[in-house]
Amino acid sequence: MAELTALFRPQSVAVVGASKQPGKIGNAVMKNILASGYRGAVYPINPKESEILGVTCHPSVSAVPANIDMAVLSVPAAQVLAVARECGEKKVKALTIITAGFKEIGKEGLDLEKKLLLLCSQYDMRMLGPNCVGLMDTHTPINASFAATFLSKGEIAFLSQSGAILLAILDWSETAELGFSKVVSLGNKADLSEIDFIEDAANDPYTRVILCYIEDIVDGPRFIEVAGRAAKKKPVIVFKSGVSQAGAQAASSHTGALAGSDLAYDTAFEQCGVIRAHSMTELFDLAVAFSKSAIPAGDRVAVVTNSGGPGIIATDNIEMLGLQMARFEKNTIEELRANLPQEAGIYNPVDVLGDAGVDRYEFALQKVMEDSNVDSVLVLVCPTAVTQPVEVSHTILRARDAYPGKPVFAAYTGGQSLAKGAGLLSGAGVPCFTFPEPAIVCLKGLNSYGQYLNARAVADERVLAGVDQKTVKAVFYDATRDHRLILLGSEAAEAANAYGIPTAPIVLATTPEEAVEAADKMGYPVVLKASSPKILHKTDVGGVIVGINSAAEVQKAFIEIMESVHRYLPKVVIYGIEVQKMKEPGTELIIGMTRDLQFGPLIAFGLGGIYVNLLKDVAFRLASDLKNAKKIEEMISETKAYTLLKGYRGEAPKDMAAVIDVIRRTALFVTDFPEITEMDINPLFAYKKGVSAVDVKITIS
Amino acid sequence: MKSLYIMGAPGSGKTVVALGLAQKMKQEGYQVGYFKPVAANDRKLIGRQDQDAMLMKEVLDLKAPLEKIAPVTANPFYLSAQATMKDARRMIKEAYDEVSEGVDILLVDGALSIDILSSLSIDCISLAKEIGAMALLVLKVENDYSLDNAIFLNKHLLLEGIRVTGAVFSNVPRPLYAKTDGVYRPIMEKAGYKILGTFPTRPEIAAPTVGEYHDILGGEILSSPDRLNLLVEDVVIGAMTISSALTYLRRAANKAVILGGDRADMALAALETSTSVLILTGGLYPDVKVIARAEEMGVPIILVHYDTYTTIERLSQVSRHIHPSDKESVQVALENIEKYCDWRYVLNSLQEG
Repeated sequence: MAELTALFRPQSVAVVGASKQPGKIGNAVMKNILASGYRGAVYPINPKESEILGVTCHPSVSAVPANIDMAVLSVPAAQVLAVARECGEKKVKALTIITAGFKEIGKEGLDLEKKLLLLCSQYDMRMLGPNCVGLMDTHTPINASFAATFLSKGEIAFLSQSGAILLAILDWSETAELGFSKVVSLGNKADLSEIDFIEDAANDPYTRVILCYIEDIVDGPRFIEVAGRAAKKKPVIVFKSGVSQAGAQAASSHTGALAGSDLAYDTAFEQCGVIRAHSMTELFDLAVAFSKSAIPAGDRVAVVTNSGGPGIIATDNIEMLGLQMARFEKNTIEELRANLPQEAGIYNPVDVLGDAGVDRYEFALQKVMEDSNVDSVLVLVCPTAVTQPVEVSHTILRARDAYPGKPVFAAYTGGQSLAKGAGLLSGAGVPCFTFPEPAIVCLKGLNSYGQYLNARAVADERVLAGVDQKTVKAVFYDATRDHRLILLGSEAAEAANAYGIPTAPIVLATTPEEAVEAADKMGYPVVLKASSPKILHKTDVGGVIVGINSAAEVQKAFIEIMESVHRYLPKVVIYGIEVQKMKEPGTELIIGMTRDLQFGPLIAFGLGGIYVNLLKDVAFRLASDLKNAKKIEEMISETKAYTLLKGYRGEAPKDMAAVIDVIRRTALFVTDFPEITEMDINPLFAYKKGVSAVDVKITIS
Repeated sequence: MKSLYIMGAPGSGKTVVALGLAQKMKQEGYQVGYFKPVAANDRKLIGRQDQDAMLMKEVLDLKAPLEKIAPVTANPFYLSAQATMKDARRMIKEAYDEVSEGVDILLVDGALSIDILSSLSIDCISLAKEIGAMALLVLKVENDYSLDNAIFLNKHLLLEGIRVTGAVFSNVPRPLYAKTDGVYRPIMEKAGYKILGTFPTRPEIAAPTVGEYHDILGGEILSSPDRLNLLVEDVVIGAMTISSALTYLRRAANKAVILGGDRADMALAALETSTSVLILTGGLYPDVKVIARAEEMGVPIILVHYDTYTTIERLSQVSRHIHPSDKESVQVALENIEKYCDWRYVLNSLQEG
């Protein structure tokens, strides 16, 4: 993106609020820019100085006798607007605003931030921050930040919403010998956010891996689009905090935005191929793995170990994370049997035994690497008296070079005695860990990413025939006119039906006579249900009577329900009684939707009925991901309901195509009508032929 | 001069009917007066001034002073204030003479309920008889008992020899509207009682404003003090887990959400949905970001220093009053009469009497 060039590769930089006084931010920024080896022009701005750190100082931005690409602002918040305007007049292209005192301090700060944003858009300037540490680019090079250190050159771009985490990582990266291509402190994200920087880093030839620490995402749909495109080019790894309930609350207090459900983040990340890290350690483990390793062709892992215990631990973890223990070709097994001691493990994991020297490792590694059933290899080394860690490391490196398409990871479980060998691997680009588990987490990340890269573009078949938007609009209008956000059961069914979702016939009756008439018309048996948006659980207040077989029973049930509801909820006025054709029971499913604040409609599918919350057999997708039948079937297949639908223990299979169709129509429905905030079809009965939505709930805004 | 005595149950909407009728009669060219002989000592009093009286004085541009328009105030323990109450009858009489002067029609607004001050024989019925007023009943509809109440009152008034122009079912909830019009009305009419109209609930004039919540709750306003005119149509207690909060909060429109000041996440969730006011209990000041967000969304925050239970107890006292400056509501009251009430019948029966 050309517009970010002014930030990362400016021809000239002004530092507004530059200072001579050590300890001031304006001084640190000046020092950093000069020390980073920046080759462009630097203009410190300070009306009280004539030179700062040997560079001629100007009284104001407008007094600079040349063009300025980027201005770094570290003036008090009250002066930021005026300086920004001056920058605009001067045709500065981008601002990095380090100054704090904006959105994070409350209402006045928020207003100031909005004015600042408006000003930037008026002058066509892009802005990083405010309230940030700044940015660095090791290839330009430039260090426009107040960090204490500069970076080593590398291929990782790191974006952080937390300034403190960024500073800490910079400091730590020196000891970890990690290099970066660029580092950005996102601050308040008033204008530019992680989305813009991900897009930029995706096109940056010096960046191989994009790393983010974030607390929220402002524009979910755009994130999915941009990150999804970026991830096709290079891995995007995100650590998003605020997962727990208390954590989400802390994040809300910190960012001033509602966190949105973590489930939606998970679902969205998966959809757009973003690898999610769950801890700081994981974030950087993954960063190392992705920057050094090839992407495996599949999920089959071979383990070579010199001890049983770690081998079993590794095997457990491989399976638990959804990877496969590779099953070797016959040839490999025979060779291993012929050449390893009798008591060695020749199936996966390959146990070369505690007395193994480098030869056995070399042989076993050679064999599993050339096996076509193996996609990646994990080498485990425990220190015994005869272990030759350095030699084993050389062997691993040779194997890696011989099979560049197969990632090799190592876990050298020990301390000093293995350190030299481990260091050799890390230095030469083979990710080497102390314990097996993080290695497997990384393999899993690589594998997920590989799957995303290999996934073919899905045809978008969301447009459907046979939808009647007019009816839906009419139903919604009636409810809104009535000051209701919750549709009555009959209304919800009518709206769903208008989108081609088959519903059981349902009529709202206000008198017993009307109820009888409706029941006679639709045929017995029928169900009677109290109709009121104020009643959450109708059965709890005696609001549902099933299995009604005659007109007389309808009369009686009508009055019974009225009386029962009045007894439980004397203040609730019910709209009437819904008469519904009773459907024969089928496989009970649920299709739900909740509109996530960041990502939009989140669709749930699973086993329905009253045990939904108990069984929790539910799969989630964003509606935007359910583009065609294949995608929907993928979602269904993640649940146990799938097994039931396929026909469990001799039962006849249910109408999968009809279930898929209802999910597709639901996704379309909630996308076409953004006013639907919540929707539930529970239960949806699935039959051998066809389906029937028995209870539809819709909340609108 | 004709008098029309508007009487009914507490909260039935007598004042809204009076406000609408007064405007209509004025449009028809009548000099209309307003008289509230017995004001209740409730929140309708600002200082010692009755709000209804203030409203009508301004809308009708009445010359009579407020203390004449609403001469007597009865609190629930009025017998303890014998000294002032013993003059009540005389004060009402004098005030009546003054407010009825020069008007064609005097609208008399009944006390909180029909029977109040019966012990002094200055209840609605006694007064109506005394000044020879015609009665108009304003009735609430809750269930079938409401119908019984309507028939009983009609019957009783006739037995007392008071002419009744008819009854209005006021503030009828939507779900009951069809029944009121389709079932109750025919029964009443069959019994020989006139139904002048059935008014559906209109939140514009029935729902209390955030300001009225603040009047009752007290406390500090932390954001959007200029938005106290927002209507509150529902109350939700923010005691659920955050994961289910949105689902619940989305179910109610224009609501007050009551929650602890430390629940930033819940407050932010509420601000994402249709919310008119956040009521923070326990005296816990919220995070500045919550206040900023509320300002951004134009939602007032009221911080109270007592607990959630007390807050909810107090909420039951909140009710809606129309302020003279609230032109829209004054207009709605008139529309109600024009659209749903047989006002010509009222005028005709006044002429006949």
